[in-house]
Amino acid sequence: MEHKGFTIWFTGLSGAGKTTLAREVEKRLRARGMKVEVLDGDVVRQNLSKGLGFSKEDRDTNIRRIGFVCKLLTRNNVVAIAAAISPYRDIRDEVRREIGNFVEVYVDCPLEVLVERDVKGLYKKALAGEITNFTGVNDPYEPPLNPEVVVHSDRESVEESVEKIMRKLKELDYLPPAPEDVYSEEEAEVVEERLRSLGYI
Amino acid sequence: MGLFDRKKPASTARRRVFMLGIDGTPYTFIQRMINEGRMPHLAKVVAGGTLLRMNSVHPTVSSVAWSSFMTGKNPAKHGIFGFVDREPASMKVFIPTSQAMKSPTLWEILSAAGKRVVVINVPVTYPPRPVNGILIADFLAPKLEKAVYPPALAGTLQSWGYRIDTDPWLGHESKDKLLADVNLVFDRRVEAMFRLMQGEEWDYFHCHIMETDRLFHFLWEEMETNDPVYAPRFFAFIQKLDELIGELARRLDEGTDLLIMSDHGFCTLEKEVYVNHWLAEEGWLKFAVPAPKSVADISEETIAYSMDPGRIFINLQGREREGRVPPAEYERWRERIIQGALALRDPDSGKPFFRAALRREEIYHGPLIQQAADIILVPYDGFDPKGSVNKGQLTYKGPALVGMHTYDDAALVVAGRRIAPARTPWVADVMPAILELMGAADPGDLDGLSLLD
Ligand SMILES: Nc1ncnc2c1ncn2[C@@H]1O[C@H](COP(=O)(O)OP(=O)(O)OP(=O)(O)O)[C@@H](O)[C@H]1O
Ligand SMILES: [Mg+2]
Repeated sequence: MEHKGFTIWFTGLSGAGKTTLAREVEKRLRARGMKVEVLDGDVVRQNLSKGLGFSKEDRDTNIRRIGFVCKLLTRNNVVAIAAAISPYRDIRDEVRREIGNFVEVYVDCPLEVLVERDVKGLYKKALAGEITNFTGVNDPYEPPLNPEVVVHSDRESVEESVEKIMRKLKELDYLPPAPEDVYSEEEAEVVEERLRSLGYI
Repeated sequence: MGLFDRKKPASTARRRVFMLGIDGTPYTFIQRMINEGRMPHLAKVVAGGTLLRMNSVHPTVSSVAWSSFMTGKNPAKHGIFGFVDREPASMKVFIPTSQAMKSPTLWEILSAAGKRVVVINVPVTYPPRPVNGILIADFLAPKLEKAVYPPALAGTLQSWGYRIDTDPWLGHESKDKLLADVNLVFDRRVEAMFRLMQGEEWDYFHCHIMETDRLFHFLWEEMETNDPVYAPRFFAFIQKLDELIGELARRLDEGTDLLIMSDHGFCTLEKEVYVNHWLAEEGWLKFAVPAPKSVADISEETIAYSMDPGRIFINLQGREREGRVPPAEYERWRERIIQGALALRDPDSGKPFFRAALRREEIYHGPLIQQAADIILVPYDGFDPKGSVNKGQLTYKGPALVGMHTYDDAALVVAGRRIAPARTPWVADVMPAILELMGAADPGDLDGLSLLD
């Protein structure tokens, strides 16, 4: 059956885990037969937002563009997943209002851990002053005040963070039931016993 | 002209349909019962109408057959391929339910057209999906409280002593216990049916009798061999079924069409055939644990595995959890397994087990075909392919399960209309015919349509 559209919006510092979690959640949703599109900040900046820089104005434009595409997808019953730093609270809230079915996931991770991880080697450069306007180092980041989900990637495994997000999506009634959701363990046993007695299992 | 001619007035008043499902009751058996005078009421209905032989579906099980009936579509469009299935990425085994059915049902289409429906006990209606009327789900429901739409009716059914299904384990304990329970559940169901027939408004009423299938699984051989104790009790139940048909024919008015149908036939089971045992003997199936419980326990060395009944899946790279066969070798393995299955013989009698081994694209077409088994075995009557993973032998025949399903012997009875379709119909052809009878629009994309042009 057709499912509802909604947007999952990952926000957090570079290297916090937005892309990683977006791709994992995407897999889980596709396994349920849902239509999913991921808009990753890095990819978007090479096409939809090509040429934009990292001033507040350019960052806002970038987020509004991603938000606009998410809105189109959402209203066509696709799950849109955005994975972009999106440092400014007011623009995230603006996008939330525009889209409606909006699940904000704050990927929290202390700066020390991110500097240690330095997935792309950017923190080293930023701390050395080779990059200006680097969020968390020499550019602001405003954490969400009421996100639907907070994950702590410094002390949760990827699997745990994904579970947290999936639980929230289920709670918000965004997920079509998975086959294994129809029965509780006890109920499954009752039905399996019946099928077994007829030789079907 | 359609499947049904228009001898009855196409209707000034609204036309209603009453469908009595008699699970697993063979066309040839009905003929025999009529000839022997054991079903006089049904004989009368047939004399004034039509009795047709129909084909079922592959694989021939009730969940797939009734899903094809209620959607008017083949499995690659409705998504129900058996009583059990697996999620290839995790190899988790699950029971497909109405939630897995990806197509609207006859009663949902009628509901949307403003018709009122009452649907009792049709396989794969659990969990109950909303209708304009009442739906009481089938034996996939773990308990009655959760089986009913609207849920408030469950208490009433409980107070009538309604039972979802016979307890089939009784059939393994004793045939007498099973017979007693089959009769009890049948009586309770019929009582609830008559109460709802009278108490509710309806345009489409469907009552599904599962008890025939249960009786046949455990006593068909006794009936065929004319067992002195159990054959008479078997026929006593058949007589009761006939009286129900007589009562229905008497009660239904001119404006209501009475249809009676089964979803497959039955024959005596000669042997259960454990396909996984054969695959393991060939070295194509290996388990990761010493005492496997299901196909979830296969190891990464596996080439192919089977689920009930006779559905064979290739352990394909990129699809199965630990797929082994590369896509480039898929066809070679399919061909090899098909040839192997066709060459299989019963070691005792030398008889072949399978009349055909079909590639899924030979019988299914539609968007969900990727979920289907790669090969579907079609057995000769008597050999029942099973999906068990832990039988240390190729074949078995026990005292309990002595009947099995057949493909080409389903039945359709239409009261008061003479029909002569140009070709042998199959179970999915009935649904568009009902839509036509009731003046409801064809939703499109039905596979049963061709009989109606
Ligand atoms: N619970 C967790 N959730 C997500 N990532 C985690 C978690 N724990 C550890 N990690 C690791 O953190 C890193 C996160 O990198 P990722 O590219 O996903 O970050 P990002 O937020 O997309 O960064 P950017 O904004 O620069 O694109 C990965 O190496 C990932 O394996
Ligand atoms: Mg990223």
